Amino acid sequence: MAKQYQSEWTKKVPLKEQLYIMKRLFGYTKRYKRQFIGAIVAAAGLATINILLPRLLQVFMDRYLTNQSATTQILLGVAVLYGLGVMLKAVTQFFQSFLFGMGSERAMEDVRRDLFQKLHQLGMRYFDQTPAGSIVSRITNDTMTLVDYWNVFLSLLVGSFSIISAFIAMWLIAPKIALATLTFLPVLLIVIWYYSSYSARVYRRMREKLSQLNTKLNESIEGITIIQQFRQEKRLTDEFEQVNADYLKTREAMIRTNSLLLAPIVNLLYTLALVVVLSLFGISALHSFVTAGLVYAFTTYVGNFFNPMTNMMDSLSSLQDGMVAGRRIFRILDQEEYAPAQNPDATNEITKGRVEFKHVSFSYDGEHEILHDVSFVVEPGQTVALVGHTGSGKSSIINVMMRFYEFYEGQILIDGHDIRSFPMTELRRKMGLVLQDAFMFYGDIASNIRLFNEQITDAQIRSAAEFVQADGFIEQLPGQYHARVIEGGAQFSSGQRQLISFARTLVTNPKILVLDEATANIDTETESMIQTGLARLRQGRTSIAIAHRLSTIRDAELILVLEQGQIVERGNHESLVAQKGRYYEMYQLQNGAE
Amino acid sequence: MGIFKKLGWYFKQEYRRYLLGVTFLILVAIVQIVPPKVIGTLVDLMDTKQLTATKLVMWLIILLAAAILQYVFRYGWRTRIWGGAAKLERTLRSRLFWHFMKMDTTFFQKHRTGDLMAHATNDLTAIQQVAGAGILTFADSIITGGTTIIAMVIFVDWRLTLMALIPMPLLAVVSRRLGAHLHTAFGQSQAAFSRLNDKTQESVSGIKVLKTFGQEAADIDDFNVIVTKTVKINKRVNLIDGLFDPSISLIIGLTYIVTIIYGGTLVMNHSISIGQLISFISYIAALVWPMFAIGRLFNVLERGNASYDRVEELLQETSTIIETPDALQIPATGDINYAIQKFTYPGDQQPTLANVSFTLQQGKTLGIVGKVGSGKTTLIKLLLREYDQYQGKIEINRHDIRDYSLDALLDSIGYVPQDNFLFSTDVRDNIRFADFERDQAAVEAAATSSAVHDDILRFAQGYETVVGERGVSLSGGQKQRIAIARAIMTDPEILILDDSLSAVDAKTEEAILMNLKTLRANQTTIITANRLSSVMHADEIIVMDNGQIAERGTHEALLAADGWYAKMWWKQQLNQALGGV
Repeated sequence: MAKQYQSEWTKKVPLKEQLYIMKRLFGYTKRYKRQFIGAIVAAAGLATINILLPRLLQVFMDRYLTNQSATTQILLGVAVLYGLGVMLKAVTQFFQSFLFGMGSERAMEDVRRDLFQKLHQLGMRYFDQTPAGSIVSRITNDTMTLVDYWNVFLSLLVGSFSIISAFIAMWLIAPKIALATLTFLPVLLIVIWYYSSYSARVYRRMREKLSQLNTKLNESIEGITIIQQFRQEKRLTDEFEQVNADYLKTREAMIRTNSLLLAPIVNLLYTLALVVVLSLFGISALHSFVTAGLVYAFTTYVGNFFNPMTNMMDSLSSLQDGMVAGRRIFRILDQEEYAPAQNPDATNEITKGRVEFKHVSFSYDGEHEILHDVSFVVEPGQTVALVGHTGSGKSSIINVMMRFYEFYEGQILIDGHDIRSFPMTELRRKMGLVLQDAFMFYGDIASNIRLFNEQITDAQIRSAAEFVQADGFIEQLPGQYHARVIEGGAQFSSGQRQLISFARTLVTNPKILVLDEATANIDTETESMIQTGLARLRQGRTSIAIAHRLSTIRDAELILVLEQGQIVERGNHESLVAQKGRYYEMYQLQNGAE
Repeated sequence: MGIFKKLGWYFKQEYRRYLLGVTFLILVAIVQIVPPKVIGTLVDLMDTKQLTATKLVMWLIILLAAAILQYVFRYGWRTRIWGGAAKLERTLRSRLFWHFMKMDTTFFQKHRTGDLMAHATNDLTAIQQVAGAGILTFADSIITGGTTIIAMVIFVDWRLTLMALIPMPLLAVVSRRLGAHLHTAFGQSQAAFSRLNDKTQESVSGIKVLKTFGQEAADIDDFNVIVTKTVKINKRVNLIDGLFDPSISLIIGLTYIVTIIYGGTLVMNHSISIGQLISFISYIAALVWPMFAIGRLFNVLERGNASYDRVEELLQETSTIIETPDALQIPATGDINYAIQKFTYPGDQQPTLANVSFTLQQGKTLGIVGKVGSGKTTLIKLLLREYDQYQGKIEINRHDIRDYSLDALLDSIGYVPQDNFLFSTDVRDNIRFADFERDQAAVEAAATSSAVHDDILRFAQGYETVVGERGVSLSGGQKQRIAIARAIMTDPEILILDDSLSAVDAKTEEAILMNLKTLRANQTTIITANRLSSVMHADEIIVMDNGQIAERGTHEALLAADGWYAKMWWKQQLNQALGGV
């Protein structure tokens, strides 16, 4: 069998870190002080009403019922008072729950906002290293866990209020017996402590098994073709049965634990406390008078004393989950893999679009140099084509040029100024990148071309689409520019997606164009559309292109042949062919291709 | 209530457990009557000054016994009934799993993984609730409710009981109504959560585009708008959720008011004692939960019923791939002969294959190329019997492949799929997927043939490296080569590489193809590819176009013919030179 994967949820968080995480998580609740304080006040009010109502009945019984002095007026009076008390109770219950719920909801959403904002400050390096799924689950699922986490504190608070107020009430009416009841407090604490530590273990094991079970199920569905082709249905089922049975076992253990230590034991303790209380009342009743109302009120308080326990114990299991979630959330918030920064006083503007690389060297990991001493100049309006094998450094030139990654050696100059002396917004506005894989967002065609930039008008979108010849297929869509785009733009061919991404770039009217030409096999018709689109896109703009199309290459004023991060040949088409070097070898192949 | 009937088979099967569970519930209900009665009695004894030490001790012993018995009985029913629910969930999950294992491609195309997962998790949770909470509330409402009311009547007063019970049905109504509202609101909250999830997913996937266009701030604004909407929707959930406790308080408060007025009157005219009144108040508290639970019961049953129907519907679906009763058990080896007149995917209008005929002699290698969507993979899928409904036939050794047993046919085929799916276990078990008995040497031999052995040794844990979602992430090329090793491992009579060399570089591709040639001298190989270098050494290459064979011949012949193949060949050579594919 394969090694069992141990998830983060099953590991214990060290106490010191727990305190740190707790402190930071509580920081998020500060903004919603009003809600939380409101909820706490309501909880205190509730605890008070819960001791006043039995008190009312006690007085009613002892003063009017036992000595037969209750008139109809008194009966109604007590009923009205009681009714008012109940209404007040309902109000406090509502506000306690609602205010706390909203406070923690809002605080959680703040965590989400912070995380999302942080995400956009991080550099590409971070996204290269972290699977998308895990980032998403930090922002959505882990934050959700926080609500349960904050709820632990509500139930602890409500529980302590209830216990303390019950004790005070008991103390006021029968101090000695109240003290006797207090002896149950240590027992209570021991049970809570034991349950929370023991059940946490069982619970974590159960959760672990459940996640194994779901992984197995998910994987078996996704790999069904392989399973069936290799005739492994029986084995996979046996394996699944095993996990399924293991999960059942852990669940049964959880049920046993809860049955032994949760609600039933609280009830047992409560009834035992009743035995003690009643025996003490009974003993004193043997030689002095004990009123009925006193016994009633006191036994009710004993109930208040024990009631919140189940809830408290139950919620404690969320404490650990909250810690793990908090730890993972802060790992993102503390992440320092920032996107490259511009100079703080950067104010330059790109006017001409002249690009110069001066002895640029670059490495992704600080060890393996990907670009080595790269220098070249592109004059305004010119096109430079980058040619070379995968891994030769073509994409890295684009990556440093677009400031996706920081470089430390050499200089990139735009219009003669260091690239870091332009504000990022200026760079983004004046430099347009067309990616190989044209990523599409959920929305419609227009929103995909506009890409959140509300200043772009519908007319501009239309003319951009026309210019790159994307209008042809767009206008055949139902809804045309408002045709829905589903997840990833799956309904469009890669060629159509390309055209949309051309329009997306064109509409921003960049000075400098950075192109990563798609290599995907596209049918000839779309291919020629894309070629025209590309050519039009390049008109009057400085272009730096990873070129796969001979047309792009031949039109380029400068061709750079890259090998292992270095420029090995440079020149225009004619001069390079005349050189009879590497470029010439490649070019030879065109005879067959064209 | 229909759902109880539908689950009848399970209750019948587990009748002992449930009988015992319900017995414990009855016992708990009976014992629960004791404490209020003891309190009431002792109060009366104190009030009338008739309490003696013996009487006190006697009543206290009864109370103590009740405390202990309650604990034991509670443990009893909880483990029985909750355990029964857990067991039902397992039983149904097993059934579903085995069902999935037997279903055909059509089924898995109709139901996406996410949907099937939802059935196997959410629906099962809803169904097991019927066997747990459902049975419990049903029994509890009747038993605890019933015994408590009886105790009220016997120990206190029937008129007071009747009066006090009047507001009680409101509890059931409120819990049902609020429960239903909460369910709807919760559904909306879930949908909002999904939207948030999708948004985040999209931003992370499209991060490069967003950076390119400098739209970080706009994207954050967009996210915040969704968050604000989510808060609004969750506010409703909180609101409804917050109404539960107050509603209970108000309704119970009404009962108390009735008790104060009418119970007080009864005490005044000596119909009941003060101790009885106190017992009565305690009994009211014992009634809250059963009454409230009735309302909840309907919701549990409703959801359970809907879920059960969905799961049943899934289980009723049958595979279209049927083994004939007298299916051939002999291994499928020999010449492969395709003679397909027409094949259309279920639900499609246009046929995907039309008039495809060719013969592949045993021991030869066939290459299949063509544009995306031209029908290459479909040819393979039919051979693997993922679909059986087509005009024409495919024969192996002159027997229709639909006459073989699935074991006989598929055991002869080694298949490397396009998406090179690996399981999240270690590399070794992935390679020896078809037979866990195979030893390390055999695994290494297969890995060496598919040129992945050295890569594996470079992993920190070598062959024990766990792959997949939770393990090391492999490159596409590594995955493909492991998938090839997995197929070679069974030494199949027919090996199929379905575009499974696309992510390995040209040199490695060449090495693998050479290894296969020596390793599989007299065995049949079928290779589909977008990259023509994968098939250039094949004995015959067919070019598919729009579901038909457009060109066929050897590499040289096809180049000479100067058709699509030749054009594509030169284009790919150029692309490669320019650093493309």
